[in-house]
Amino acid sequence: MSENLEQSFVQQLRENQNIIHKICRLYTADSDAHKDLFQEITIQLWKAFPKFRGDSKFSTWAYRVALNTAITLYRKSTRTVQTVDYEKHSFFISQEDYNTDEEERIKLMYKAVHQLNDIEKALVFMYLEDKDYTEIAETLGISEVNARVKMNRIKGKLKKILNP
Amino acid sequence: MEALDLLKKDWQKQENTFEQVSEASIYGMLHKKSSSIVKWILIISLIELGLGVVLSFFSFDSDLLKKFESFEYFGYIKVLTAFNYAVILFFVYQFYINYKKISTTTSTRKLMDDIISTRKTVKYYIWFNLVMVAVSTLFGVVYAVNLNPKFDSIAMNPKNVVVFGLICTLIIVGFVVVFWLIYRLIYGRLLRKLFVNYKELKKIDL
Repeated sequence: MSENLEQSFVQQLRENQNIIHKICRLYTADSDAHKDLFQEITIQLWKAFPKFRGDSKFSTWAYRVALNTAITLYRKSTRTVQTVDYEKHSFFISQEDYNTDEEERIKLMYKAVHQLNDIEKALVFMYLEDKDYTEIAETLGISEVNARVKMNRIKGKLKKILNP
Repeated sequence: MEALDLLKKDWQKQENTFEQVSEASIYGMLHKKSSSIVKWILIISLIELGLGVVLSFFSFDSDLLKKFESFEYFGYIKVLTAFNYAVILFFVYQFYINYKKISTTTSTRKLMDDIISTRKTVKYYIWFNLVMVAVSTLFGVVYAVNLNPKFDSIAMNPKNVVVFGLICTLIIVGFVVVFWLIYRLIYGRLLRKLFVNYKELKKIDL
């Protein structure tokens, strides 16, 4: 029974691992920290798996556990997020830098997102993942209206980071 | 915002850029130890709960109690001992209930609330133990005064009363400062991120 459970978990996790990778990329700044957070999320998912009843998709369920781990349970991320490099880059963007091609702007956007705090990153992550505000609000435990308001503020904040 | 939507377009593309973790590696991870704050909270809390039990054995051990039998306040000491153990049991139970509630599948806000209330249980428990230490010290002093008339006359000297009072206060303040520092050090490090994020989350819902 427990072997079956383990097998089913490992298989589903392997298929859905990009969700975790995306969260790790958002919340960590180097590949060591990425691997470390990936492992912690895997452990937390495995711990919670016996209660996963399958009435929601594995991926939907995994989003919540993975985000909760990154925001609340993970211990080392304060050391790794928001490195000086990101700040240095985005605070000194010159006019021609952000007016060049699309790729450059996307790069700058990634850097700007890295400058946000943990909660703002969670909102941006779910927005980028095309989650609706009902799900965003439920995942974070805030009201839907306030989730919308906050998202608009984050958009403003990102704009400011890009155009200081 | 145009830029964020631009990022959204690119967001899904990055899936191909992640180095895929094999099933064998995932199996390996399942047997690794977690380093989450919840695990550390459990370890530290169990040490704290244990410390309280040790402290109460120290303050209320049976050999010592026998010596108190002739003491006129012995009845109070017995009641206090029973009360002390009952409260310890209550705290341990409360801790267990709160700890069990911590789940990564709830909302972020609820998860943080549950972690904080688990911590609060242990914090109150430590304060309770400190009060009990102070109360049993007081009993000790009253007992000493009762038993030894010489001590009584020394202590009743106004100058000595001031000195004695000062020493007692210093000891209690010392205890509180040491515990406070330990708390700042351990939990400051462990829970700083949690409190920052909790505040941020609460601000959204103001």
